[in-house]
Amino acid sequence: MSEKINIPDHYRRWEADIKIGKKDDHVTIGYWRDGCKGCGICVDVCPKKVWEIIEAKDKWNGQVVQVTDASKCIKCMLCEIHCPDFCIKIY
Amino acid sequence: MAFEYEKYLRMDKIPHLWCPGCGIGVVLKAMLRAVENMGWNKDDVAFVSGIGCTSRAPGYIDCNTLHTTHGRALAFATGIKLARPAKHVVIFSGDGDATAIGGNHFIHACRRNINMTLVVVNNNTYGMTGGQHSPTTPIGYKTSTTVYGNIDPTFDICMLARGAGASYVARATVNKGKQLEKYITKGFEHNGFSVIVATANCHTQFGRKNKMGDPISARKWIADREIPLEKAREMKAEELKDRVITGEFITEEPEKTRWDNYNHPVHEYTEAYQTIRDKAQEKK
Ligand SMILES: Cc1ncc(C[n+]2csc(CCOP(=O)(O)OP(=O)(O)O)c2C)c(N)n1
Ligand code: SF4
Ligand code: SF4
Ligand code: SF4
Ligand SMILES: [Mg+2]
Repeated sequence: MSEKINIPDHYRRWEADIKIGKKDDHVTIGYWRDGCKGCGICVDVCPKKVWEIIEAKDKWNGQVVQVTDASKCIKCMLCEIHCPDFCIKIY
Repeated sequence: MAFEYEKYLRMDKIPHLWCPGCGIGVVLKAMLRAVENMGWNKDDVAFVSGIGCTSRAPGYIDCNTLHTTHGRALAFATGIKLARPAKHVVIFSGDGDATAIGGNHFIHACRRNINMTLVVVNNNTYGMTGGQHSPTTPIGYKTSTTVYGNIDPTFDICMLARGAGASYVARATVNKGKQLEKYITKGFEHNGFSVIVATANCHTQFGRKNKMGDPISARKWIADREIPLEKAREMKAEELKDRVITGEFITEEPEKTRWDNYNHPVHEYTEAYQTIRDKAQEKK
């Protein structure tokens, strides 16, 4: 992949080699925890169950999200498009 | 590839004030991607809004922005467009802002067919002020002002826009971010008044009173009622009760031969206004 990955340093990152159909690919998932409000929309829209909700005592509603397994990602972009808080970047 | 929203945002104002999972953020993102699709220079765009949760959006956008008074965004926007016809003017309104207090401005902006784009975030309520019923609250639903269920029939904002003379009209929901982006882009491209209705969740105010107080169930309530226009055309009116019809209601070339378009659209307003300017200057 030649595309430039532009994920700020304060984002958490997960990476994996993946296959999309028969093609080899690579995914980098960036996540901004400070901006995340734990709404769970990314968990709901992901067709591959890449995201999960976890407890976060420092957040007012007590939860944020994390990636369970980046290698399941198919780069459909649904989580990035539907996160209302600009917290996800898929490359 | 990830979209760089930072390019269009005032990052010092983010995180925004909207509730976790609020639909407005999803619509704002679709709109920013549409701006990118157009390749517009940020200095050539003006975002105008009234008052409400939805109307907070321009405060987060790093372009020319104007946060005006409740219901009057279209009047301010019309002023900007007439003074600077070459600039792109985009209005971001709630259902209350656009169709209740601002209903009069709404129909007249449609009637003038002025080359601006209005994005209406329809969350079926007045989110900001405590979830009162709006002209789009469906019959039977509870709000803080309809505690036994709403009895007021609703406006269909797309039909209203069409009837009033808007020349591009489309609707998509927050469950389909890509479709929203496509319609807003087409609205931007269109020379005339374009209205894009984004059906959105306000689970905090509207949802909570109707057994869908979290974003996931409120979004599902919308998804379950969603129906594409092509399918709706084959259905009976009674089957479409309470449904959210999505699609393009009027496109670039309105079906000019249809009898109900006999009155539509005559001309684009800034172009017509220029002919008046020219005439006035000839006289001198
Ligand atoms: C002239 C005037 N009347 C009433 C209000 C109170 N008010 C503020 S926001 C609002 C309703 C907003 O509803 P909507 O436009 O649907 O936006 P939402 O918050 O749902 O996004 C009202 C009635 C006001 N600010 N100004
Ligand atoms: S891009 Fe698609 S598959 Fe990958 S995490 Fe996001 S929603 Fe899931
Ligand atoms: S959609 Fe965004 S804000 Fe909501 S839980 Fe996921 S990352 Fe956090
Ligand atoms: S009150 Fe409703 S519209 Fe306002 S931010 Fe919260 S969910 Fe969104
Ligand atoms: Mg509203």
